[in-house]
Amino acid sequence: MTAIDQARFDANWRAITAELDAPRPTRIERLLRAVRVPTHVVRMIVATPALRRSWYLSVLAVVLVGLGGADPANRDSLFALLVLAPMLPVLGVALAYGSAADPSHEIQLATPTHGLRLVAIRSVTVLVVSIAIVVPLAALSEAARPMAVAWLLPALAVTAASLALMTFLPPRQATAAVAVGWFTATLITRLAADDPLAAFTAVGQLVAIGVAIAAVAVAISRRSSFENLEYAA
Amino acid sequence: MTPAHLHVQGVVKRFGDRVALDHVDMLAQGGLCAVLGPNGAGKSTLLRCVATVLQPDSGTISIDGLDPSRERERIEARARLGYAPQDAGFDTRVRAFDALDLMAVLKGIDDDRRRRRIVFEVLDRVGLGNRSADRIGDLSGGMRRRLVLAQALIGAPSLLVLDEPAAGLDPDERLRLREILGERRRTSTVLVATHLTDEAAICDAVIVLGESTIRFSGTPAQLATRASGQVWVQDGFPPPDVRASWQQADGRHRCLGRPPEGVELVEPSLEEGYLIVQDLRSTPA
Repeated sequence: MTAIDQARFDANWRAITAELDAPRPTRIERLLRAVRVPTHVVRMIVATPALRRSWYLSVLAVVLVGLGGADPANRDSLFALLVLAPMLPVLGVALAYGSAADPSHEIQLATPTHGLRLVAIRSVTVLVVSIAIVVPLAALSEAARPMAVAWLLPALAVTAASLALMTFLPPRQATAAVAVGWFTATLITRLAADDPLAAFTAVGQLVAIGVAIAAVAVAISRRSSFENLEYAA
Repeated sequence: MTPAHLHVQGVVKRFGDRVALDHVDMLAQGGLCAVLGPNGAGKSTLLRCVATVLQPDSGTISIDGLDPSRERERIEARARLGYAPQDAGFDTRVRAFDALDLMAVLKGIDDDRRRRRIVFEVLDRVGLGNRSADRIGDLSGGMRRRLVLAQALIGAPSLLVLDEPAAGLDPDERLRLREILGERRRTSTVLVATHLTDEAAICDAVIVLGESTIRFSGTPAQLATRASGQVWVQDGFPPPDVRASWQQADGRHRCLGRPPEGVELVEPSLEEGYLIVQDLRSTPA
């Protein structure tokens, strides 16, 4: 009988049993892997059940789209949809980040993965899921179709603004502040232009791009705040 | 692997008007170092600063010469770190394996197969290898604490920072924890916050924190000797001016304080040394 290297045998055996014993990937994991999302990124997304709240919010958005489409002539219901839809990703991020949402938050802060990277991955996930649900359904609705994508840049802007503000305030306070700012801005624009959808015209979209760029710059320059328990609580 | 060199110098941390750490200094390289102190003494704040999740207001922390206040060095220091906070846990809806797999990802282990092997190694080490597919909500409180410890072991860190790791563990689990700590003392610097003196007794060094400052730094034996000549046993009730006393199983009273003439002095315990160290500062000279 040939002598075997026991240490090598043990290492190989451990590797085999680890492969066999690993729990089966969930449906969402398999779906994300199928669309070529890297496995470690899939893990960051899937092992965060708090993100599911944002998906539920997206479903709520679908209901809102349905309501908006009930009366094609009603620009007020379209206004309500366009004002609320961009806040869904922001709420999703706020509900999925920080000690209040995630009991492992403090442990995660002490890892070499940058806090901004983690929160950015989660923000993008929430944004993509919201878009994936809201856009096709809005396009199906006769009333919402013209504006099916009009909320995307504002959503990007308010999500980036909430990330920037999270470097100064806890996540939920930052989100509340952004929500107040966003609702105020859209109301003022509506009253000034005497048009419910004035904030979503080409000029409004350009302003949204500007806000998004500025907010991302602030979040990057103050990224150390995402590394500190006092800020990132 | 070489244990990390940890140097804390003049660290001050305030929360509003409250001073949580007041010019704290410590040095450690290799072995187990217990941080003892009453509730509110600053143990968790010190550990959070060492674990780089809190930034001191002044003073410096160095991990293998790396300064965590600088971004690049902080990331490098965190790669050497395993941290188990006191109140942390995991989402109860997640499976034990998935929670640790995420932590392995965050610790920079991107290769799937290597990550799976490491996750099962640490799960086995804390006795949860057969519960990997269970949702965390289905695990007992002690098992959840072990899971938090398991994530700290991922990546074989050279600096382990454990805040009250024995809290909520039953005697069997405590023994397992001691085994793990015993193994790690050879390869890591292990900082353990505890209020249990029997946990501190197995450590190589002890730091006693009280009212935000370090009151003692030395070995467990040196801490015990602080009560030398102040512990005795006697029949009958102790005098009223003793600092502490309790009745032993044999009916005699063990007393701590200034001994009366002619009593039988005994070897002090670590707990008695700890009480003397805490008492010396809080009693006016």
